[in-house]
Amino acid sequence: MALIELSHIEKTYDLGLSKVLALRDVHVSVNKGEFLAIVGQSGSGKSTLMNIVGCLDVPTSGHYRLAGRDVGDLTDDELADVRNLEIGFVFQSFQLLPRASALENVELPLIYRGLSKKERREAAEHALEQVQLRDRMKHKPAELSGGQRQRVAIARALVTQPSLLLADEPTGNLDSKTGEEIVYLFHELHSKGNTIMLVTHEPKLAARCPRAVRLVDGLVVADGPGREVAYANAEALGAEALAAFQAAQKSVEGRP
Amino acid sequence: MSEAALGVGLQRRASAREIGFFRAFFRFFSELRDAVVQALRSLLMHKLRASLTILGISIGIATVIAVSSAAIGLDEAFGRQLASLGPNTLYVSPRPWIVDGGNWWKYRNRPAVGQGDWRAIERFANLPLAVAPIAGTQGVVGKGGKEIKNVFIRGTTESFLETGSWQLKRGRFISNIDHEVGTDACVIGADIEDAIFPNQDPIGQQLRVGPIGRCTVVGSLVRRGNSFGQSQDMLIVLPLSAFLRTFGQKRGVTIAVVAPAGKVTETEDEVVAVVRNYRRLAPDKDDNFAVNRQDRMLNMFGDMTKQMKLVVFVIGFITAIVGGIGVMNILLVSVKERTREIGIRRALGARKLTILLQFLCEAVVVSCVGGFLGTAIGLGAAKLVSIVTPLAASVNPMIVVAGAAFSAAVGLIFGLWPAWSAASLNPIEALRYE
Repeated sequence: MALIELSHIEKTYDLGLSKVLALRDVHVSVNKGEFLAIVGQSGSGKSTLMNIVGCLDVPTSGHYRLAGRDVGDLTDDELADVRNLEIGFVFQSFQLLPRASALENVELPLIYRGLSKKERREAAEHALEQVQLRDRMKHKPAELSGGQRQRVAIARALVTQPSLLLADEPTGNLDSKTGEEIVYLFHELHSKGNTIMLVTHEPKLAARCPRAVRLVDGLVVADGPGREVAYANAEALGAEALAAFQAAQKSVEGRP
Repeated sequence: MSEAALGVGLQRRASAREIGFFRAFFRFFSELRDAVVQALRSLLMHKLRASLTILGISIGIATVIAVSSAAIGLDEAFGRQLASLGPNTLYVSPRPWIVDGGNWWKYRNRPAVGQGDWRAIERFANLPLAVAPIAGTQGVVGKGGKEIKNVFIRGTTESFLETGSWQLKRGRFISNIDHEVGTDACVIGADIEDAIFPNQDPIGQQLRVGPIGRCTVVGSLVRRGNSFGQSQDMLIVLPLSAFLRTFGQKRGVTIAVVAPAGKVTETEDEVVAVVRNYRRLAPDKDDNFAVNRQDRMLNMFGDMTKQMKLVVFVIGFITAIVGGIGVMNILLVSVKERTREIGIRRALGARKLTILLQFLCEAVVVSCVGGFLGTAIGLGAAKLVSIVTPLAASVNPMIVVAGAAFSAAVGLIFGLWPAWSAASLNPIEALRYE
């Protein structure tokens, strides 16, 4: 059975005067252990999709089944519990508590499970060990480099042993070298059996994922092996850029 | 990752509905602890801001505690003063103690209560345990070069001891024989004894009383202490006959009547009947005398302090609002500052109630710290009042408890709205907040 089953997902934002269709009839199904990239330009609806998959938001219509349960009819509290139990978030801007140490940051989701201080500490240390940050546990986020901060965030996502690791532009705020390290870490986690969904606008990143889904204007336009989707994406982007360039050139040439 | 290391392996798939009671219990406590830790941390981060708010609350609480201590102190002092009149003692005098201003003319021309009334009560009233006529003035008492001014001089009989519940320290009290025969015996209060006869036996010594009187000390009274900053022991007691001889025959007296316990009203009725009969008042005439009771005075005073308590309550209420606004303000700022943190916590599984709890904790911690400080300051101020002024401020342990509860309530009430606004933030928008 699929871990994630999205069927006929639609999401509209009511902006008062107009309605924005962020997602249109999205069908995606993800199995346990998959490593999937969601690609698309900004405004394509990938963040909306991620919020829905992460149970931070609910679709306007359609069904979302996570681990066999329909998430659509859960209350706010139950959604919070699902986020705590099933999902591990990794954000572009790390989203660590600035005043708490790395260890305390990683312990945070376990507080909402009612684990004792000792259990929390053990689990958090274990998770930090997985991202090679055991010697930086007592440091505050401000005392860590960007790559290290993102690792703390990944440890925080892992500490709950979630069904799904959800990463939103995890390399967006990092230089290419540290970004590379983080990507490597994701691949490593995937090889250990974690299910990972990665949202990115970088075709390069998507190309290295076993599977990628491309969104354009809220529609799934491609779903297949990462390399192919990324290539198509780049091609489309290239064509768009070329068209824009030609149009610009024309208007320049057209002037008297 | 080893599931055992986490201890939640089996728990992991449990849905919200399936989380057990004990888990929920532990969850609440770990959340509460985290909330308190976060609240303290947040206060320590913003020391100035927090201390200003705390100052606001503590000034408020201190005011309430100081004022209510003074009020209760006054209440108690008055109660004690009146208790010294004796709970079962009636006082017959021309006018009631409590006179409504508009009715003053009614009492103006009443005849004095005299020895005739006293004799009549002694003879015809059956219920009273003791009856004492008391005439009084203030004057000078002296011996040799020593002179004491403003001494309470009382002319009375043997029963004075019982009606005023005084106790003898030395010698004997004046007797009815002293009164009947007209001896110059007198009994002195503790202040007179200390002032005129330090370290010597006063018995048998001569004293000057008033401008022309002389008396021989036959006994002294046990010290009674202050009441409203005035000593009750600046007292000299003479037999009634000697008093009248010295200070004038036409002086009226007050007749103190001790009623048996539980029969105060019956005794009052009897005394009224006896005095009316003695004065030959026709049935259609009003009483031209009054029987005063200590408990009536107490009631009147109770009404007065009730108003004072109302004022204290109003002050407390305003204080609570002012302090509460401070709490609300600091909390709104805190919510704004920590919007992203709220988003992060919500994304990681915090429920709305968890966020609410966290900010309520912060509010309660601020207001309780303010409350404790305020209580300490208030108690100090009350102590100061009791040292500097004759008002004995009473420090009631209940006040301290009430102060703590009050400040916690202020925190809860005024923290509720900001905390709720934090809890109902949309997690997605909160995460994006810059």
